[in-house]
Order: sequence, then structure tokens, then C-alpha cells
Amino acid sequence: MRSDCLVHCGSGLRNMAARIIARCVRSLNHPSVYFNRINTSATLTAAPLTHGRTFSYLTNGHKSPLAQISSSSFQVLQWRQYGDLPPLTLETIHDRVLYVLKLYDKISPEKLQATSHFMKDLGLDSLDQVEIIMAMEDEFGFEIPDAEAEKLMTPQEIVQYIADKKDVYE
Amino acid sequence: MAVSRLPPAALSLKQFLQRQKVLGVYRDLLRSIRKIPIESDRRYLRDWAREEFKRNKSETDQDVIRMMITQAHNHLEDLRRSLALAGC
Repeated sequence: MRSDCLVHCGSGLRNMAARIIARCVRSLNHPSVYFNRINTSATLTAAPLTHGRTFSYLTNGHKSPLAQISSSSFQVLQWRQYGDLPPLTLETIHDRVLYVLKLYDKISPEKLQATSHFMKDLGLDSLDQVEIIMAMEDEFGFEIPDAEAEKLMTPQEIVQYIADKKDVYE
Repeated sequence: MAVSRLPPAALSLKQFLQRQKVLGVYRDLLRSIRKIPIESDRRYLRDWAREEFKRNKSETDQDVIRMMITQAHNHLEDLRRSLALAGC
């Protein structure tokens, strides 16, 4: 992880650190790590300015100088970066729930809607409902207790439950 | 003349509790199967569990159902012990 690169630098390892950071910075320009780039710019601006002009240059809000760090030598101070998943919104939860349901082999994707009842509209039984809730647990990464799981009978209810548990408000 | 307000297909309390037990053991089984490291074994056991439960879905005799729940619990315990021995 990028945070590991930056934490263990001492004076003897400065060159190696510069090479590693250059590689990290180059990978930052990749579009798939857009979220991390926001993180990095924020932490870079928050870091103390005792080390080198390139960092102070960054605090002016320029985006391109990130690529210029690679060429200059500088002291690296330790700071922490915490990785996390992208934040949940009602819409992403809704999309993910419907995506998982479409992958389930007993549901025909055409008939599936947000308000379709598993047992009455889609013709599933309670064992299928247990499997669906287990698939939702796998998708969102947290356990749903039995008592609450058996009440979730439509995709809309599942979305609502997950939003309640994950504190997602709109 | 007391008219029952429940729909005719409603389960008695004992049946309802038994249904909850069946669903509970199915869920525990699926949770244990999730921990199996090898993907092909996991898929095989999941299909096996699904088949077993679906095949006996239409059983109505309470004693037979009770026996099947006990069997399922035994399978679950075997699976848990194997997983513990394998270190998962």
C-alpha cells in the first residue's frame, strides 16, 4: 500500500524511497484510483511544510506537480493514509442489490423490479429467500441476523434495511 | 359460533416453529459452507444442500420433519468439525 512506502523512509533509504514514491505517483494518474488521488492531495496539503519546495508547491492547489515529485530529492515525513471503500449511496445500494438479484438463476431479469415480492410476484420460496439474503450478506460484507432477514421480501425492503444499517441518508 | 379470522393456509404454532428451525439450520449450513476454502467443493456442497432441502420441501409429517432437522444438524456439526480441523 502507498502508506507503507512513505512510513519507513530514513536518510539511508532516501533513494529507494524516491523511486518507490515515483512509482506510486505515476500510478496515481491512473483513472481507477481517482478516489485515492483526492485522498492524497488532501493529506499532502495537510502535511507539515518542513520538507522541500515541491510539497509547498502542492499546497497551492496545483494538480500537475504531483508528477514532478519524482525528479527531485526531498525528505519524507511520516503521515498516515487510511484506505476505505467508496461511500454508499441509496442509488449504488439499489444498483448492487438488483445486480445480485439478476445474477441469481431462479429470477428472470425481465420480471424483476424494485417492488416485486419474492414469493408472490417472483414465485420463490423461503429457501430461495434465505439464499438471496446470504448473497446480499456476501455482497455488502456484513451479517444480517435471522429475525430481520426473514422479513425482507422485496428488493426495496432490502435496500432500505441496508441503508438503515449502514447509515446512508439522502 | 366462533369464526376463525386466520386464513385457512396458516400454520399452527408448532408448524411455524418447525419452519423457523428448518430455515435456521439451512442458513447455518450455508454460512458454514461459505467458509470452505476450495471453490469447487464449496459449490458442490451448496448444490447438495439445496437439493436435499428442496427434495423434502413438501413433507408434512411433523415427526419426519423433526428427524430431518436432526440429520441436518448432524451434517452441520460434521462440517463445522472438519472446518475446525482443517484450520479455517
